[in-house]
Amino acid sequence: MTAAIDTLAVRDLTKIFRIKTGGFRQSDLKAVDGVDISISPGRTLAVVGESGSGKTTLARLILRLLEPTRGTVLLEDVDITGMEGAALEEKRARMQIVFQDPYDSLSPWQTVGRTVAEPLLLHQNLSKQQAAEPVAAMLERVGLSPEHARRYPHELSGGQAQRVGIARAMITNPALVVLDEPTSSLDMSVQSQILLLLQSLQEERNISYLFISHDLTVVRYIAHDLAVMYLGKVVEAGPAARIFASPRHPYTEALLKAAPRPDPAHKTEHVYLVGEQPSALDRAPGCPLYGRCPIAEDVCADTPQELADIGAGRRVACWKRT
Amino acid sequence: MSALLELRGLEVEIQGLPILRGVDIEVMPGEILGVVGETGAGKSMTARAVLDLLPAGSAVSFRSCSFGGQDFIPVKARQEARGHRIGFVPQRPRGSLNPVFRVGHQLSDALRRLRGLGRRAAKKEALDLLRSVRITDPERVYRSFPYELSGGMCQRVCIAVALAGEPELIIADEPTTGLDVTIQAEILRLFGDLISEHNTAGMLITHDLGVVADVCDRVAVMYAGRVVNTGTTAEIYREALHPYANRLVSIAASLDSGGAPREIPGRVPNPGDDLASCAFAPRCFRAESDCFEQEPPLVDAEGQLAFCHHPLTSEAVSR
Repeated sequence: MTAAIDTLAVRDLTKIFRIKTGGFRQSDLKAVDGVDISISPGRTLAVVGESGSGKTTLARLILRLLEPTRGTVLLEDVDITGMEGAALEEKRARMQIVFQDPYDSLSPWQTVGRTVAEPLLLHQNLSKQQAAEPVAAMLERVGLSPEHARRYPHELSGGQAQRVGIARAMITNPALVVLDEPTSSLDMSVQSQILLLLQSLQEERNISYLFISHDLTVVRYIAHDLAVMYLGKVVEAGPAARIFASPRHPYTEALLKAAPRPDPAHKTEHVYLVGEQPSALDRAPGCPLYGRCPIAEDVCADTPQELADIGAGRRVACWKRT
Repeated sequence: MSALLELRGLEVEIQGLPILRGVDIEVMPGEILGVVGETGAGKSMTARAVLDLLPAGSAVSFRSCSFGGQDFIPVKARQEARGHRIGFVPQRPRGSLNPVFRVGHQLSDALRRLRGLGRRAAKKEALDLLRSVRITDPERVYRSFPYELSGGMCQRVCIAVALAGEPELIIADEPTTGLDVTIQAEILRLFGDLISEHNTAGMLITHDLGVVADVCDRVAVMYAGRVVNTGTTAEIYREALHPYANRLVSIAASLDSGGAPREIPGRVPNPGDDLASCAFAPRCFRAESDCFEQEPPLVDAEGQLAFCHHPLTSEAVSR
């Protein structure tokens, strides 16, 4: 068997929302615009970007929680974009998600045990009795005790609730887990516990992670690969360590410079982007960063630059930096 | 130099639960003090006690509290200072502006009330304030409703409101939480610049050690309703005396360098939990039996103060 079947391969994925902009007028909002990404087994791809960059929409498209306008999603080499019924249900067991807010994503009326068992009852047709044993084992694996199965979410701390969310995602033994800002609502001391847990689960089970975050500190630690999104487009992608060491796209550069670092000797540099992120409605055809970019030229205004290979596994969408 | 704000032994109970258990904090003139800690440590409650903005049903007591030489224990003194001598920048900028009034109206209203200006003078001053928080088109923002502005813009407006009373101290409670990093960087820079331009002092409440390293001169680290460690930012980040502060900084530093973070086991106690003599002892890697039995002493070393039986002084350091 060939070693390298990507867990996830996304091609030209696009989602356009029709938005009413008053009266009978409608505008197109390209939330996700021609995204190509892939993740191989056991690796973590972090998708970073600011609010409105389309990273959560991208995750929802991949999980088939939203229907794409265009493009394909291959999960373990199988196109799931048009899939329906039992075939899709089967694939759903192979892709799971851990949400940002652990309390909001757990049903307050269900015990922890029931919540974690749910995917087994749904996808593997186990009875509640049959599910009890794997649930107890899973709870122990994520650092809870089997006794937690009888508790309700409100009895848990934030860190414990997030461990339940992770147990629920892992119990069907998925190939891909989407982690949507899994630590951003947690305290620092708990954040590191959760990161270490996610990492050891990945090593043990060879899971692929799609890690969505705006927190570059966390990404620096957990990501193997990085895709930087701005206004629905991936503007830079490649191995995380290389991008952190030498960002090529002006937006990536600004993002890295703006992130405060826990070192008093390092002062955050003045952000050199102009103004704020514009509306994603009815965008000009050129580079999404045009208008804020300090190195833009006339060509950037109306000619879009697609992601271009610059070697060493890196891709950048910028006329000036390719 | 005497402290601008000095409070000792601040205790707050809400519905019978101890939230603050003897907080000591001082802010020196001209400095920015960072108050850091995790959820429930009491950072916001400390600020709210100073401003008399605690929720109804809270019991507050100080051993001592003074602001600019004035006794600050009487409730009235604190209420009168709010907005005038102490400006407040809230966590959720949009939520703390009134959604049904234009921004300019709210800002000039504050100016008329705080500084007794007339209608026209207030409008002129409001536009100047909007300019001073680096809003490039103050006329438009003046006429806008909060929902028409971005989060970063709303926070600039809130900072302008905090400046309206020409305060001696500005307290900012997680002013950049929820903002994008590029906007956060601008707001923090603005905050730092305004503190020095207006010759005031600042108290910045945050859980983000990157933010503290960027703008704060000194740090107070809180845990379970107490300040456990204070010192200059450089000292705290070099080697904090208190094991909790020390570990927190080392987690942030190792994540930042892409290395594996050390763990702090367990979790932050909730108000009302039974606490050991040192509240951090059950999670502490240096804890011994005395930590559970005796109140930790105040240690003064390396330019820091910490409440700890077994502080990490330089001779005992093992990294």
